[in-house]
Amino acid sequence: MFHNLQDMQHTASLVTKVFIQRDYSEGTVCRFQTKFPAELDNRIERALLEQTVKTLNSYYVEAEKVGGQSYLEGCLACATAYIVFLCMETRYEKVLKKISGYIQEQNEKIYAPRGLLLTDPIERGMRVLEISVFEDRGSSGSSPSSSMSSCSTAR
Amino acid sequence: MPNSAGKRFKPTKYIPVSTAATLLVGSTTLFFVFTCPWLMKVISPAVPLYNGLVFLFVLANFSMATFMDPGIYPRADEDEDKDDDFRAPLYKNVEIKGIQVRMKWCATCHFYRPPRCSHCSVCDNCVEDFDHHCPWVNNCIGRRNYRYFFLFLLSLSVHMVGVFSFGLIFVLHHREKLGGLHTTVTMVVMCIAGLFFIPVMGLTGFHMVLVARGRTTNEQVTGKFRGGVNPFTKGCCGNVEYVLCSPLAPRYVLDPRKRPHVKIQPPFIRPDLSDQQITIKVSDNGMHSTITNSKSKSSIDGLDGKETQPPLPPKADRYNQLKGQLTSSEESSLSGKTHPSTPAMYRFKPSFGTMPKVHYHTAGEKIVMPDGRKNSAILEEGVRSDYRSEPNLDLPEYANAPLHRTFQSSPHQLDADPTNSRTLSLKQGHHRPEKGQLQVLPPQTVASTAYKGVFSPNTLSNRNGSLSYDSLLNPSISPASANECMAHRGMPSMGFHSPYLPTKMCHIRESEIHRQQVAQTYSPVMPPRGLGRQSPHLRDREPSPVRYDNLSQTIMASIQERKEKEEREKRQMLHGRSQTHIYVQDSGVFDAGYGPPANASFLDGPRGHGSRGPTPPAYGGSRDNLMGVGLANYGQRTPVLRHAGTTLGRAPRTSSTSLHTDHSSSNSSQGRAPSHEGSYRSPTHKPRSPAMPRSPSYSHQKLSYISAHDRTDSPRLGGQRETMKVNGQMDCHLSPSRHGNVKKVTGVGGTTYEISV
Repeated sequence: MFHNLQDMQHTASLVTKVFIQRDYSEGTVCRFQTKFPAELDNRIERALLEQTVKTLNSYYVEAEKVGGQSYLEGCLACATAYIVFLCMETRYEKVLKKISGYIQEQNEKIYAPRGLLLTDPIERGMRVLEISVFEDRGSSGSSPSSSMSSCSTAR
Repeated sequence: MPNSAGKRFKPTKYIPVSTAATLLVGSTTLFFVFTCPWLMKVISPAVPLYNGLVFLFVLANFSMATFMDPGIYPRADEDEDKDDDFRAPLYKNVEIKGIQVRMKWCATCHFYRPPRCSHCSVCDNCVEDFDHHCPWVNNCIGRRNYRYFFLFLLSLSVHMVGVFSFGLIFVLHHREKLGGLHTTVTMVVMCIAGLFFIPVMGLTGFHMVLVARGRTTNEQVTGKFRGGVNPFTKGCCGNVEYVLCSPLAPRYVLDPRKRPHVKIQPPFIRPDLSDQQITIKVSDNGMHSTITNSKSKSSIDGLDGKETQPPLPPKADRYNQLKGQLTSSEESSLSGKTHPSTPAMYRFKPSFGTMPKVHYHTAGEKIVMPDGRKNSAILEEGVRSDYRSEPNLDLPEYANAPLHRTFQSSPHQLDADPTNSRTLSLKQGHHRPEKGQLQVLPPQTVASTAYKGVFSPNTLSNRNGSLSYDSLLNPSISPASANECMAHRGMPSMGFHSPYLPTKMCHIRESEIHRQQVAQTYSPVMPPRGLGRQSPHLRDREPSPVRYDNLSQTIMASIQERKEKEEREKRQMLHGRSQTHIYVQDSGVFDAGYGPPANASFLDGPRGHGSRGPTPPAYGGSRDNLMGVGLANYGQRTPVLRHAGTTLGRAPRTSSTSLHTDHSSSNSSQGRAPSHEGSYRSPTHKPRSPAMPRSPSYSHQKLSYISAHDRTDSPRLGGQRETMKVNGQMDCHLSPSRHGNVKKVTGVGGTTYEISV
């Protein structure tokens, strides 16, 4: 890991962060805007990012769905005086894990090769989808602190 | 009870929760100990079982409500915050299901609070779907634990009813032994239950209504949806279902989980690069861009900031026009002046000192708002001066153009043309050094080309002269700039910086654009408008050009008429020195309107002496105004020049706005600025009738200011002798005014000016 960190420091440094905001047009349901940020115009294809955001949105819809499974979960929790929360993972938490895995995979396959890094929105309170933009600065090692921070977010 | 880290231990805040817990547990325990055995024996064992279950439910919900994270938002990272510095707007609007909802900036947490989020002062956290802070559980009630709180209330009500009822049964059966321990205890328990019955039932009922309506306590109490539509409601059943059956929301305040490290190493794959037009647009919280190179700001936000904000369409339009040409400096300066479009508030974030790159509202818009009122006044004056000045046929158009352009770009952060801004800076630079870009003195050619580039050919053709007139005539941005010029001209000479100046100028431009005609009584006394030139960003908001076609015709007519009148008067007064006057005026006007380099080129240009008469109407009109200004304030101009010479960068403060004051000062300094005069006096200038007095105090101040510039910058303008003559003329010319000989002239649009003749 340190090796990687140092690699990052030497090879890429954080330039800026692009934030994709929440789309509140349908209420407080978790949804991110699919509008393409202009800063990324020369970094990634629009279709790729849109696909990522749309997939994330679908995950969140699934997590927040008020239906059969959530109802059962509620009843069970009531019945067990909520002790079940200590033992079992809620549906939302399961979906969040799926999302985390998806973001990780997207980062590895698509974003890291383009010098970008997605941050799981849960780390930002689901308010923004943070995309760290890295620049190839050679080994000049600029802003190691930001690289560090970006590394940590990547982790 | 979650506490924020670093908070001091405050025992007082635990008193309600301790009391509640003690009462609840204690009373119920007493009930079970003293009342239930008899009940179990006499009525049924199911009674204590039922009560036990209910009590368990109450306890569970009470614990969940007390200890569960209500949905606390973690503080935003610094990076996220960069664009939203302390000059960003306090509010952001977002549309939810067609209803505008306001998101407020949280100074503590450093983000715009999502809808329904609120900051709890007790917990010092922003909480999602904030309901209220409950002291009885010593916790905020938010999205995650509202259900448990609601169920706690419900179950507590049921429990209290049960305890009270069964206690009553017990007491009724033990009436003869009221003094007995069991009975006494039961009665005590009953009293407690009875005492808290009303408040708890009341609160339960209140929350049942809230749940049915889909509102939070916070929204209900603050009256957010009073009489309006609640965008968050899903219907009664949907709301109940949402409260009771929705999945447990996740925690946001998490320990950083270990994630697999993703290696990022160049070279990076890049898509096809396209030429990015630099755009300055409204960006919302979170949009970052590299300031240095790409100025493109994404308006990635669902807020549709521009549309939802109080409309400042001109600004947006102008931005679009000029967006390709902004320089970084412009951008930063522009961004530096943002005002919130919704409530004009700023949020201050001293801890984040990053340069505001992104502003929710374009700077120009914001700036204009507070000063709107003043702008109209200035605009009026500017307009007047436009058509007041006599056409200056001598002045080459491009001389005007730079000035024209300059003004146009004065807000000019948006000005696409760097040359324009330089021209502007040339003229205005002295009075607005803070603008930054104003220091450059572009070469004449640059100015002219820039002008051409910026202005429509119409502008060029029409005018050989007065910038303002051109702007008036051209249904393009030029009118705005012209006005700006006029106003600007007057301003710099003012010599003192008033915060109103920039706004006024902006508004002048705006009014021009928005109003065809400025009909207003013109008073020669120009209220001191400070050289508040520092807000070029005000200009940013230039609205789309106004159609001044009609105006131009009338202006032309009136100008011609006035010109002739003035000429006649002048000739009478000066005994043949009217020519000089006109010269002076011309030069003055010329100077005022256009930057020094322009003047130089103008004078030397092929325009030759533009006799006013033959000049095209458009030209003439503006020229007339300028001339009028110059003539009328000839005396003033001189002193102004003097001042300008001495105090570049600031119009002489002493040059008061009042005509008379100027006169006196000018008289006193008649002989002092011959060189100045000469610098912009072009031999080619034809004598012009005294221009209509427009805003003598300020226009001439402007002129003088420009003269100073001209003097320094365009030595080849020459005409020293003319200066002398002019000075002399000024003396002569001014004396009548000093004696209070003021002529009232009605100009275009019913504006009346007082010309000191």
